[in-house]
Amino acid sequence: MSVSGAIAEIVAERWIERTLASYPAEAHALLCGETDPFRNPAGHAIKQSLTTLAHELLGEMEESAIATALDALVRLRAVQDFRPSDALRFIFDLRDVVVEVIGAPPQALEIRIDEMALMAFDQYMACRDQIAGLREKELRLRMQCAAK
Amino acid sequence: MPETLVQIELKPPHGDWRDSHVEFRKGSICYSAAPKNLTALGLPNPRAWQPLDKDWKLPPDWKRIILDGMKERLDKYRSFRLFMDICVRCGACADKCHFYLGSSDPKNMPVARAELMRSIYRRYFTLTGRIFGKLAGGRELTEDVIKEWFYYFYQCTECRRCSVFCPYGIDTAEITMMGRELLNLIGCNTNWVLEPAANCFRVGNHLGIQPHGFKDSLDFAADEAAEITGLDFHVPINRKGAEVLFVMPSADYFGTPHYYTLLGYLMLFREIGLDYTVSAYASEGGNFGLFSSHEMMKRLNAKIYEEAKRLGVKWILGGECGHMWRVLHQYMDTMNGPADFLGVPVSPLTGTVFENARSTKMVHICEFTADLIHHGKLKLDPRRNDRWIATYHDSCNPARAMGLLEEPRSILRAVCRNFHEMPENTIREQTFCCGSGAGLGTDENLEMRLRGGFPRANAVKYVKQKHGVNLLTCICAIDKATLPTLLEYWVPGVEVAGVHELVGNALVMTGEKERVADLRGEPFPAEAYAATTANEAGHA
Amino acid sequence: MNALYSLLAVLALVLAGFACGQGAPARMVLATFVPYAAFAALLIGFCWRVARWAFVPVPFHIPVTCGQQKSLVWIRFAKIDNPSTRWGVVSRMAAEILLFRSLFRNNRARLSGGRLILGESASLWLCSLAFHWTLLLIMLRHLRLFLEPVPAFVNALERLDGYFQIGVPPLYFSDVILVSAMTFLLFRRFRDPALRYLSLFSDYFALFLLLAIAVTGILMRYFTRVDILSVKQFALGLAAFRPGASQALSALFLCHLLLVCALAAYLPFSKLMHMSGVFLSPTRNLANNSRSQRHINPWNAPVKTHAYVEWEEEFRDKMQAAGIPLEIENETEDAGNARTN
Repeated sequence: MSVSGAIAEIVAERWIERTLASYPAEAHALLCGETDPFRNPAGHAIKQSLTTLAHELLGEMEESAIATALDALVRLRAVQDFRPSDALRFIFDLRDVVVEVIGAPPQALEIRIDEMALMAFDQYMACRDQIAGLREKELRLRMQCAAK
Repeated sequence: MPETLVQIELKPPHGDWRDSHVEFRKGSICYSAAPKNLTALGLPNPRAWQPLDKDWKLPPDWKRIILDGMKERLDKYRSFRLFMDICVRCGACADKCHFYLGSSDPKNMPVARAELMRSIYRRYFTLTGRIFGKLAGGRELTEDVIKEWFYYFYQCTECRRCSVFCPYGIDTAEITMMGRELLNLIGCNTNWVLEPAANCFRVGNHLGIQPHGFKDSLDFAADEAAEITGLDFHVPINRKGAEVLFVMPSADYFGTPHYYTLLGYLMLFREIGLDYTVSAYASEGGNFGLFSSHEMMKRLNAKIYEEAKRLGVKWILGGECGHMWRVLHQYMDTMNGPADFLGVPVSPLTGTVFENARSTKMVHICEFTADLIHHGKLKLDPRRNDRWIATYHDSCNPARAMGLLEEPRSILRAVCRNFHEMPENTIREQTFCCGSGAGLGTDENLEMRLRGGFPRANAVKYVKQKHGVNLLTCICAIDKATLPTLLEYWVPGVEVAGVHELVGNALVMTGEKERVADLRGEPFPAEAYAATTANEAGHA
Repeated sequence: MNALYSLLAVLALVLAGFACGQGAPARMVLATFVPYAAFAALLIGFCWRVARWAFVPVPFHIPVTCGQQKSLVWIRFAKIDNPSTRWGVVSRMAAEILLFRSLFRNNRARLSGGRLILGESASLWLCSLAFHWTLLLIMLRHLRLFLEPVPAFVNALERLDGYFQIGVPPLYFSDVILVSAMTFLLFRRFRDPALRYLSLFSDYFALFLLLAIAVTGILMRYFTRVDILSVKQFALGLAAFRPGASQALSALFLCHLLLVCALAAYLPFSKLMHMSGVFLSPTRNLANNSRSQRHINPWNAPVKTHAYVEWEEEFRDKMQAAGIPLEIENETEDAGNARTN
C-alpha cells in the first residue's frame, strides 16, 4: 500500500482531533494546544502514537513500531476513566477519517485496521491484567509486612 | 448512508462545575476507615460504610457540623479565609496538577478543586452569596457535595505544585487539608490514612510494629550490614544519654527498597562513629495526621520531642522522608516546641553548626551527609554504583516546603558517576508528585495513582530513552513505596532507591572486608571491584 | 450564561448613567449623593475585609519554597524565591506584586534559533502586567482633576504617556494598552473552554465594568470632547465636599461617573480584593526560617497524646523480654514481686 507521507500526515491530524474529542471539552485547549511534552504528557503521548500509527498503517506496516506506539497509547487509556469500548474506540475512528481524506478505504487497509484493533485488544487486556497484578503484589507486600 | 449511522461519541462539556454528582468506581477510590480505627483515635461517627454505598450514614445534623466546622476554621486560619476570597480564576494553576494532566478531569484543575469548597463558602459565609446565591458563585450544601468533596479531596496529594504558579500563592494543599478536616468531623475518612494514624498513636509506627518487633527488624538490618561489610553492627534502642536521636519513617525498616536506605544509614553511622540512638516509642517519623487534621498531626508528632527530652539527647536527626519533613520543618516547633531542652545541632565530625535548625533542633540526614562529604570525612568509591545510571526525583515536600534541593544532589554527585537530571520543568520546585502522597498510596486506589503518576513517569521515560537511566533516586518513603509500582507500569526497567542506599554502596568503611556486592546483593561492576582491591592494597 | 448576565448588568448601569443625564433631579443625586455613598462603601468595605483577614491568626508557618533553602554555607541559596530573612521576603513580595513573579513562572520561554520565544501562556503574564500597570497609571493621571495645582509628577506622567504626540488631543498609550490587555483577558475567558468552565459572574462582571469605564472615558477624551473645565470644577467640588452638578456635565460623563461608583462600591465584595489580599498570603509573605525561629500559634490548642509512661506500661513485658531499656524498671520488678508474693 502506498500513500504519500503528506496524506498520512492529514489522516494523522484528523485522527488525533477525533481521539482528543473523547476527553472532556475543558481539557481540549491543553491536550491539543500545548506542545511541551512535560506540560502536556497525555496530549503528547496521544499525538505521537497516532502519528506513528497512521504512517505505519498507510505505509510500511512495521510491526514493532506499531506495537510500541499502540502500547504507549493503550497503556494511557487503560487507566483513564473510560469503558473498555471507549478506550479502544479510537482505532475504529480511523476508518471514518480515511473515508474523509481519501475516500473508501482499500481492502488491505481494512484488514490492517482490524489487525490493529485485535492487537490493541490484547494490549488493553495485558494492561488491565498488569494493573490487577500490581495491586495484588502491593497487597501481598502489605500483608507480609503486617505479618512481620 | 451507513456512515451517518455511526455516531462519533463526543464528550459533552461538563457544563457547570456546580453539578456535584460523582461516580465512584472501584480502582480509583480509597476505602473508608474501619470503625475500630476511628474509635481508637476518638473520632466522630465510627460506622461501617463504603464510598460506593448510596447511603453514607452521615450523622443527622451533618450539615450544621460542616458549616460550624467551616466557620471555626475560617476564624482560625488566615490561609483558609484568604484563599477562599482572593482567587481570580486566572487559570494559571489549571494545567499544573498531575492528576489533571493524567486524568483530564476538569475538576482536578486546582482552581476547580478549590471552587468545590469556595462555592459553599460563598453561599453560606459571604453577603453576596447569601443574597444572590448561584449568581454569586454559591451553591447549596447537599450530601452530593460531601461525596464530591470526598472524591476530589482524596484526589489531591497536597504536593503544592499549583501554589508555585499562583500569583497569590493560593495553596490547594491548605484547602484540601481543610476539606479533609471537615470530612473527618462527620466521619468520612479513609482507612489508608487512619489505620496508620491509629497504629502510630498507640504503638508508635504506622504498621503497629511493637517494640520487640521493632528491635528484631533493626537487629536483622544490623546483621545484614555486618554480613555485607564484615564489621560488627549494633543499633542502640531507647539508649539514654546518646548525643543524637535518629528518627526515620517506619517504612525504612519494613519496606523495600527503603530497607537498603536503612542499611546505608547504619553503615554511615558506624563509619563516622555517631553517638546515636533510635527510639521504639518515637519509631515513626512519618505523620499521617498531616493527611487527616492539624490536631491529629500534633498528637502524633508530640512523641518526638517527648522522647528526645526523656532520652536526654542533644539534637535530633531525621531520615529520608517527604511529608515527615513537611511536619518537622513547618509544624513541629510551633505545635510541640519549644525544644529548649535540646542544643543547637552540631556535626560531631565537621563541627558544622546547623544554624538553619537552631530552634527546631532537627537536621535532615541529607544536610548532615552533604556536610560530611563536603568536608571530606567520608571515603567514597562512586564506581561501586556504576551499574546505576541515576536521576533524582525531588519529593514534593522537601522541595516545596523546605527547599532541600542541592543537598541530595551534592551527595549523589559524590557517590555515583552517572547522574542525569530530568527536564527542568519537572524537577526542583516544579517537581511532579508521585501521585500517591497524602494518604492515597493504597492498592485499591491504583488506577488513580497511575493517572497521577503519569506526568512524573513521562519525565522518567524521557531520561531513560535519552540517557539510559535505570534508577530513580528520591528521599521520600511514600515515593519508595509507590514509585516501583508506577514505574513498573509506565517505565519498566527503572528501579527506585533512596539516596543513602547509594551512599551505603559507595562508602568505603574502615576495616571492611572485601566487598563484592552492593546492598541489594548485586555484584559490583568488575572495574569498581578491582579498583577497590587496588585501593585497599595501596593503603596497606 | 454568566458572561451574558454580567454584560447585561453592565449595560444596565450604562443605560442608568445615560438616563440620569436627562433629568435634573437624577443628575443631582448622581453627582452629589452617589459618589460619596460609593466612596464610603469602598472605604468601609475595604477596611472591613482587610481587617477580617488581618485579625485571623496565622497558626502555622507555611511558605511555599521555590528555590534552594539556606542551610549549609557552601550551598548557594535562592535569596528571593526561598527567602530566609525579612528583606528576602520583602524582595519576594515586591517581585510578586510589581512583576507577577509566580505568574511569570507559568511561561514557557525558550530559545529557538537564537530568538527568545514566549509561548501562549506568556500572554497571560504580559497582559495582566500591562493591564495592572496601565490601570495604575490612568488612576494617577486622574489626580489632575482632583488637585489644584496639579502635582509635577502627574504632569510628568501625562507627558510620558502621550510622548509621541499622535493626534489631537495626544493619544495616551495607557488607554490603548489597557483596552487591548483587557480585551485579551476577556477573549481568553471566552476562548479557553477550561476557563469558560471556571469563570463566574463576578469574573466577567469585573472585566465588563472596567472595560465600560475605559470606553466611556476614551469616548469623552477623544470623541465627544468633554468640557474638561467643568469636570475639574465638579471633581474639586467633590473633593472639597461641596458637590454641585453643573449643566455642562455631559450624559457620557455622568455615565462614566456612575460606572466608577459602581466599581468602587462593588470592589470590597468581590474578588478584586486580591489587591490587598496578596500582601497577606502566608505562603508568600513568610520567610522560610521555621527551623531556625519558632513560629507561635496563638491558639495552639492542647491535644490528647499518648505519653511515654502510658506507652511503656502497655508494652512493658515485651520490652523487657527484648532487652529494651525501661524508664521505670525497678518499680515493675517490685510490683511483679508483690504480685507473686
